[in-house]
Amino acid sequence: MMIGAFGYLTGYDGTFPFVKPGDSYEGVNYLGMRVCCTALGACLVPFAFIIVWEMTHSLPAAALGSSLILFDIGLLTLNQYILLDPILLFFIMGSVMGMMKFLNQHDRPFSVGWWGWLTFTGVMLSGSVSVKFVGLFVVLYVGLHTIKELWDLYGDLNNSLLYVGKHFIARAMGLIVLPIVLYCVYFYIHLTVLSKSGNGDGFYSSAFQSQLEGNSLYNASMPLELAYGAEVTLKNARTGGGYLHSHIHLYPEGTGARQQQITTYSHKDYNNKWLVKKWNEEPGDWEDDDPVELVKNGDLIRLEHVPTGRNLHSHREQAPVTKRHHQVTGYGENGVGDVNDVWRVEVINGEEEEVVKTVVHKVRFVHYLVGCSLMSHNKQLPKWGFEQMEVTCNPNVHDPNNVWNIEDNVFPKLPNTSFEIYAPNFLEKFLEAHTVMFQGNSGLKPKEGEITSQPWQWPINIKGQWFSAIDGYKVYLLGNPIIWWGNLVVLAAFVLVYIYNAYRTQRGLKDDAATRARREKAIGACGWLAVAWALHYLPFFAMGRILYFHHYFPALLFSSMLTGVILDYLLESIPNLVPPFLSVSVYHWMTGLVYSVLAYSFYIFAPLAYGMHNLEPGFENGTIQNIRWLDSWEF
Amino acid sequence: MESGVRNRKNKSSPKASKVAKGKIEELATEEDHDMLKKSIEKLKHLNENISRDAIPDGDDLATTRDYKGDGESAPDTPPPETAPESATPPTESPKASKKSSKKAKAAAKAAQAASPPIELSLRLDGMSLSLFVVSFLTRIWKLETPRGIVFDELHYGKYAGLYMQNTFFFDSQPPFGKQLVALAAYIAGFDGSFKFDRIGSPYDPIVPVSAMRIVPAFFGSLLMPTVYNVMVELGLSHYAGALAAFLMIFDNAILAQSRFILMEGILMFFGMFGLLCILKFRNLYKQPYTLPWFVCLILGAASLGAAVCVRYFGIFTLFLGVGILAKDFWTMVGDRTVTDRKLAGHLLTRVLVFLTIPLTLYISCFYVHLSLLYKAGPNDNIMTSAFQASLEGGLASIISNQPVKILHGSQITLRHTHGRTCWIHSHDALYPVKYADGRGSSHQQQVTCYSYKDVNNWWIVKKPEIEELIVSEPQVPIKNGDIIQLVHGMTSRALNAHDVAAPMSPHNQEVAAYIDYNVSMPAQTMWRLELLNADQTDGFWHAIESQIRLIHVNSTQALKFSGRQLPDWGFRQHEVVTDKILEQEDTIWNVEEHRYTRTEDKKEREKDLIRSEMIPIERKNLTFWNKLYELQYKMLFNNQENVAGHMYASDPLDWLFLKRGVAYWISANSNAQVHFLGNIVTWLSGTVGLVGYLGLFILYLLRRQRACYDLPEPMWNKFCTIGEVLGVGFAVHYFPYFLVDRTLFLHHYMPAYIFKLCLLAAMVEHGYYLISENFKAAKLAKVYLAVVGLWMVSILYVFWFFAPVTYGNADLTADQVMSLAWRDTWDLIIHKQ
Repeated sequence: MMIGAFGYLTGYDGTFPFVKPGDSYEGVNYLGMRVCCTALGACLVPFAFIIVWEMTHSLPAAALGSSLILFDIGLLTLNQYILLDPILLFFIMGSVMGMMKFLNQHDRPFSVGWWGWLTFTGVMLSGSVSVKFVGLFVVLYVGLHTIKELWDLYGDLNNSLLYVGKHFIARAMGLIVLPIVLYCVYFYIHLTVLSKSGNGDGFYSSAFQSQLEGNSLYNASMPLELAYGAEVTLKNARTGGGYLHSHIHLYPEGTGARQQQITTYSHKDYNNKWLVKKWNEEPGDWEDDDPVELVKNGDLIRLEHVPTGRNLHSHREQAPVTKRHHQVTGYGENGVGDVNDVWRVEVINGEEEEVVKTVVHKVRFVHYLVGCSLMSHNKQLPKWGFEQMEVTCNPNVHDPNNVWNIEDNVFPKLPNTSFEIYAPNFLEKFLEAHTVMFQGNSGLKPKEGEITSQPWQWPINIKGQWFSAIDGYKVYLLGNPIIWWGNLVVLAAFVLVYIYNAYRTQRGLKDDAATRARREKAIGACGWLAVAWALHYLPFFAMGRILYFHHYFPALLFSSMLTGVILDYLLESIPNLVPPFLSVSVYHWMTGLVYSVLAYSFYIFAPLAYGMHNLEPGFENGTIQNIRWLDSWEF
Repeated sequence: MESGVRNRKNKSSPKASKVAKGKIEELATEEDHDMLKKSIEKLKHLNENISRDAIPDGDDLATTRDYKGDGESAPDTPPPETAPESATPPTESPKASKKSSKKAKAAAKAAQAASPPIELSLRLDGMSLSLFVVSFLTRIWKLETPRGIVFDELHYGKYAGLYMQNTFFFDSQPPFGKQLVALAAYIAGFDGSFKFDRIGSPYDPIVPVSAMRIVPAFFGSLLMPTVYNVMVELGLSHYAGALAAFLMIFDNAILAQSRFILMEGILMFFGMFGLLCILKFRNLYKQPYTLPWFVCLILGAASLGAAVCVRYFGIFTLFLGVGILAKDFWTMVGDRTVTDRKLAGHLLTRVLVFLTIPLTLYISCFYVHLSLLYKAGPNDNIMTSAFQASLEGGLASIISNQPVKILHGSQITLRHTHGRTCWIHSHDALYPVKYADGRGSSHQQQVTCYSYKDVNNWWIVKKPEIEELIVSEPQVPIKNGDIIQLVHGMTSRALNAHDVAAPMSPHNQEVAAYIDYNVSMPAQTMWRLELLNADQTDGFWHAIESQIRLIHVNSTQALKFSGRQLPDWGFRQHEVVTDKILEQEDTIWNVEEHRYTRTEDKKEREKDLIRSEMIPIERKNLTFWNKLYELQYKMLFNNQENVAGHMYASDPLDWLFLKRGVAYWISANSNAQVHFLGNIVTWLSGTVGLVGYLGLFILYLLRRQRACYDLPEPMWNKFCTIGEVLGVGFAVHYFPYFLVDRTLFLHHYMPAYIFKLCLLAAMVEHGYYLISENFKAAKLAKVYLAVVGLWMVSILYVFWFFAPVTYGNADLTADQVMSLAWRDTWDLIIHKQ
């Protein structure tokens, strides 16, 4: 879960200004942070109201949509605690609201309000992206909306191209440039604030580490260029790669040749040291006056393990774990081995005859005879290998796991260079941090026994998620089933109404203008809401990472608003079907019914959110059993 | 280009054009403009045939050359056999007619005399035929070389052999393609005795290599005329069609894929042919419910269904076809002349045809599959005991005489039903007191899941309230929901679970055979039996049939196979645990072998009674539907062992630029090899064409939005249609692979590639149109054609250059091999001296 915590560091960063009141997580101040989160969560309701209002200008629809959000137990639970979700939801709703407000300013372009809402949207967007990457979907959504609007502007022949260009540039500034700048600023703060070495270092490349205080590479200085006779450590350049390692233990019987083990090991150790030698001669001592010879791209070299004097060796034997690869061993005595010890150094994207450099260059070691490439991956050796990671020779030379870099380089005859100059600048750090985060994120594969959920289960509300069960005080995250199932039904109703409307349009059937306008308005608003829902929901199906129930909540917001709009539409349509003298009372009765059902369901499910206590009388068979509608709800 | 073509043709055959014009006038009574256009298109077909009819045989060659004016077709095309098939009966499909193409000449002559009164444009033209012949020749040339197992022939050849021997095998792709290959092998007299052991090993003389290889080669060659016709149906010129086919004939990848016993050639043909039918069907919009209308619809559905039956990825082509149909139907909704009733009828017909035909086809190919393969074979283990029992030999012979109903006192083996085959097992060894990671254990007797038959797999079913471990009168059958104990046969210890962390999965409970150490660790040996299919057996527990879950009574957790292997102390057998998540595949078990306990000290009479009771109740054979259901389930949800990081695996992104090939075969004693690589010129041009189309499309769209109409309306519509069919076709065959979580190879790209090449040909034509019509630059147009010609020559050159590694016929020197590795990521193989 460390990776997970790390993946969310950006999120932490986004929330940075907000968590100030409760700087320390321990003890007393947590209430302040909770208040913060809850306040943000509470904003969702007015936001929803404004969004629906701006979309439809219908008071009942707006009230319905926002009360659906108000009465949802799941959202309530989620917003009460110090989580990233309330903040994320706040920003998502904020951006959508800003955009809606902005759209409704369209008849007053370039006015103060227009600019104001544009900027507001931009700021909110940057906030949502920097909380969690799920925020990207809302960016996509706003982008789609903007493209549509620009397209219409562009299609209006009354507008000159210059005018359209002005619009385009204004939006690009507000919705693209501004968020990116803000995002970078957040990230800059993040990287500056977190300048200390932490336990996530191992995931970063050597260059990145050199920038972290407290890391052994910080302010280190060593020769930049690799020379024959240098003692080096080699780090696998993939994310979380270890150091090439060997020790005086042999491969056991039955796993290829019984020669010395080669592994990778994540910690710094004397056994990680290797001596670089020419393929055909032994290097002189450091004290000699021989001219320094540098290792160039494409050179043939041998690597001798310093503590044991064995050469890095490979041959056509099966590797211990990955059977299709070749075994890599330590072979020879005091540096004297055979021709199978020869490796060719290849600098990735390097020019011919280029000198191999420490840290900066990524290199590949290709076995001269077999033609395979030195590789390491996450697979562990069994107990005989001390559960260090396997090293093999991979016949697929282009495998991304074959890449190494030189981390330490000890060679007194070359001048030491400080790595400050090679320090990655902000942009490079920015990029690397992101790559690592994405890999970390997708690497969150479900572990056996952990409760995971599938995206299809979410809207059906089939299973909740335990939030806490400390001292018998239990909080269970579960949506209000009335709202959730209602949302699904209404979504289906929307699809039907949409098809019906499309069919009538395509057939050219005539409706009276008022009905038509009403339907168009509802469908227009719902169409966009449905798109937003789909954008926040469907991508999860394609994700391989571990997913939780709470990932559905952004989509739920949109789905609830959609329900508000469609319910309003239906509530207005149904009274038309009954005799006129009844229609007003039918409308009122139905509205009342909807609200009271909502309120009542909130009342009966509220204990889930506010926490239940084991010791309360009647806990086992009283209220709880009554609201346990589905067997799969585990309370 | 359109009009240019027409002009030239008119020049070459004035007579024909007159005829054509005459027909146009007749048809012009139709008011619909589109219709007129279509008939003109159609008549253009006629033109060629008529023109060829009009010219004496001797001049054939000349006509052909003229016809292929710009050298846009294969230069080494043999003269097409003149077989104007206006005589073909209207019902006959192109597929059918093409199959009979060899007889076509004779048949045509005979039929000419009695030409039918109705003329329909379903017929074979010379272009199609010559394309077929050329591509067939390229495919069958040296078909038998290399005479060794090439790449996946290992699987498909083996499967064909297993069909011959009626031995059941399991493959996660549907069987239709394999059946075609097997049929060819059967006709050629193969008995399946050859053992396909590894890629590269030579074939015995008994293996009819060419008969088996000719199936994909034949279908792969039919692909070319199909593509040509698809292009023509899309409203593109014959030149563009021929160009598309040319690109495909001389692409090394398509050639290699359809020359060996591989499925892609067959898949691509069925997909394309289905598409062709759908497009023809679209063009028959004005004549609903006529014979050709039905033929096209049904053939389209059948052919797309067949594509799915060859490989599951064919479903994308099916989606494309259905998408086109749906769009056309939507247009029809907008057509006011069609009444609501008719609309519903149309919808119903389409839905019916597209539901029933592919489904029937799919089921019937599985019917053939399951009825042919009735013997037990090497992949049985994947299937459940019930399925295995329905196969001849294997498990069926073991269990043929065993009782069905499980009683108190039954001796059983419990098999893990889905996934890895193993039986619950215990042996006289204890869990170590401390594990390597420092955790403690219960130190009780190990319970594992063991993958081999063993005497220690036997357990005795016991009801807690009965003491004697024998089957006695009255019999005590075990029902759903009963509480039982399981006593290990050899050690007489009961299956137990308790709140101790399991050795390899610490979050689960340990399962052990209980030993009473008197250390306040009470026995928790009660299990509740839960039958998953209780209604099939009236709630009784049956051997083989019943799938069960064992719920530990004290903790309400289910007995589960964890998938982890125990270390040496557990003899590397698999771990068994209990898990609180009940609903999962690994908690499902079933009884496989079963016998009643008979003890010596019981009276002979009792024994006889039991024996008489033991006469087996008729063993039910699984019905076809049950078998199909199970096979489907396993095929779709069985994660076959994934060869992660295969040396020649590639990403979808690599495919666009042909970054990696696949080594298919290498000779044991020379550098002769087959390396699966495309024609790099074609390949990259295809990608350029795709980008070009997208760019132009956006440009046109942007300009249209500002009311600048660069293209005349029909031209624009055609341009959009091309995108809808070919562009979308590419997308639906390409993008899903980004979501596929398994090892991918370059050949997965083939179907998308076909669409890309069609789009490329269309773009070449569009370029010509822009230059000659929009910019009116006649000289430039000539230059353009010359460049296209040059480009085609270079394609031919590259094709020829790489032919040695496509055919695998030449012993190459190391230098020659190196000269072929144009990119350093192409890993061609060189033998070390």
